[in-house]
Amino acid sequence: MPFRYLPDVALADIAFEAESDTVNGLFESSAFALSDIMVDPKTMRSETTRNVRISSDDLDTLLYDFLTEIIGIKDVDSLLFREVEVDVAPDHRSLRATMKGELIDRERHLLRNDVKAVTMHMFGVRREGARWKATVVLDI
Amino acid sequence: MPQIDTIRQVSEVVWEIPTSYKPGMLVPAKIYATKRLLDGMDAGVFEQVTNLACLPGIVRSAYAMADAHWGYGFPIGGVAAFDTETGVISPGGVGFDINCGMRLIRTNLRYQEVRTKVKELVDLMFRLVPAGVGVKGTLRISESQFEEVMKYGVKWCAENDLAWEDDPNHVEEGGFIKGADPSKVSRQARSRGIDQLGTLGSGNHYLEIQVVDPIRFFDHDLSRHFGIVEEDQVVVMVHCGSRGFGHQVGSDYLRVFDGAMKRYGISVRDRELACAPFSSKEGKDYYGAMVCAANMAFTNRQVIVQRVRDAFSKVFHRDAEALDMHLIYDVCHNVAKVERHSYDGVNAEVLVHRKGATRSFGPGHHDIPAPYRDVGQPVIIGGSMETGSYLLVGTEKAMEDTFGSTAHGSGRTMSRTAAKREVRGAELQRKMLERGIYVKSATMDGLAEEAGLAYKDISEVVETMDIAGISKKVVALRPVGNIKG
Repeated sequence: MPFRYLPDVALADIAFEAESDTVNGLFESSAFALSDIMVDPKTMRSETTRNVRISSDDLDTLLYDFLTEIIGIKDVDSLLFREVEVDVAPDHRSLRATMKGELIDRERHLLRNDVKAVTMHMFGVRREGARWKATVVLDI
Repeated sequence: MPQIDTIRQVSEVVWEIPTSYKPGMLVPAKIYATKRLLDGMDAGVFEQVTNLACLPGIVRSAYAMADAHWGYGFPIGGVAAFDTETGVISPGGVGFDINCGMRLIRTNLRYQEVRTKVKELVDLMFRLVPAGVGVKGTLRISESQFEEVMKYGVKWCAENDLAWEDDPNHVEEGGFIKGADPSKVSRQARSRGIDQLGTLGSGNHYLEIQVVDPIRFFDHDLSRHFGIVEEDQVVVMVHCGSRGFGHQVGSDYLRVFDGAMKRYGISVRDRELACAPFSSKEGKDYYGAMVCAANMAFTNRQVIVQRVRDAFSKVFHRDAEALDMHLIYDVCHNVAKVERHSYDGVNAEVLVHRKGATRSFGPGHHDIPAPYRDVGQPVIIGGSMETGSYLLVGTEKAMEDTFGSTAHGSGRTMSRTAAKREVRGAELQRKMLERGIYVKSATMDGLAEEAGLAYKDISEVVETMDIAGISKKVVALRPVGNIKG
């Protein structure tokens, strides 16, 4: 799941750049990066499956809404994920995702940051040659 | 700082970047900083404060306070006021943690009485005030009660045995901002927030036992007004906001505004600055929802304070009343509010955005509660968990110069990733204990990220604002016990 942190961006927050050969892979990498910021995935199990469907205006806002949904599930249902499979529609305006993880367990999980939100600062999906890339700055 | 040829020193601690610096700037940008703080500011501050200066309807100046650092959209430590008829409102100018703020309560205890009980107090408060990723509070309320929280904040608490009688009078805006419109709040925001009252959250949020610093006790007369009467007196500081509720309101409306800007012919230099006319439907809807989140944040801090009172009462076997655990004040530092100000020869209502900046109203202002009206509002500046915090007072000069605003904290100089490279959480915890600060954190990574070395020198920040005259020092507060979210 290739992503890298951008340590010099937005000092109080956390920024990352995700990339993949495919749009689906890009969304999966971004979701994995978001989860990695909240919990060490090595301490998680895949006990619960959550399916989500999201429709949006374009590829940018689809990624924004998808990541915001994962943050929302963390607060509403206390669920964090370690495996994510994404199927983005050919028109790049909707997706279906299957996410596996488990309920937050403060004894067993190595928890990290409680991500507040996805910001629009520097936010965007772009294609560079054969690679899809996304820059995301999260409010911590 | 980057090389900026046109920056001009206005006074010892005030710098101005003129409108010629960047196409589209409608007003100059003013930065409050010593030369040293200015040189240490990252490039993002200058880029972002001058972006603010381009927003439609901004009046007089865009401001960056001495604690400014690179945020998203607005710089953290940013202030901008907009004409209520021609200007905009920006969710990014408030931030996702709507009404993140500081609260300070006093006790009649001295450090020598508390010293041996700090661990017991911190451990108990850690259980009573949930902190960390995705935590839920212990207060269970119905959906209709949550709507009352959105509308009435601390006033609702006072009617439901969650506040002392005089608590609402010691909160900015009397504990609730008028104009809440729960119908503008999404289902998802409600779901995220309804069971989070009384929770601390994560990031730089904390709950801290502090001691009045005898060496940096600047103004005894003023401190007495605020109930701080002696050296080594113990106080408790709370730093948190509107939790997932506000975060979702911010996310919802950022999307709405991102799409709406075209309709209003607005373009911005950073998508996070998405904005709409304050007078537009989108602007009014966001304001109504934002006020709901602001009132939820006041309530969240109030519930936390009740738990703190319970903890002290249990540990000291005395009622919290007998421990004189009155609220000194509660200030917002992420909010947009309609306020009346005099500027450029006019006296008018403006929409003041403060993102990582504190209201600093001076003596005589009618919005300051009666006990403090003659001296100015208390201003609570939270530092890092290692270096301590400050209680200041608002000034007339702030009313004249910065739309009644000052700094909010020490401001970061180092990213979270870099801080973790410099120090490990467990090592930091041990070193702090050696220095007499017992800290308990929901995460060791999070602890390392909040190390004092990641922040500016808070004393220099506070001194800068004091020299500028936009807030005056009252007393410094030294940490002895800390819960970090």
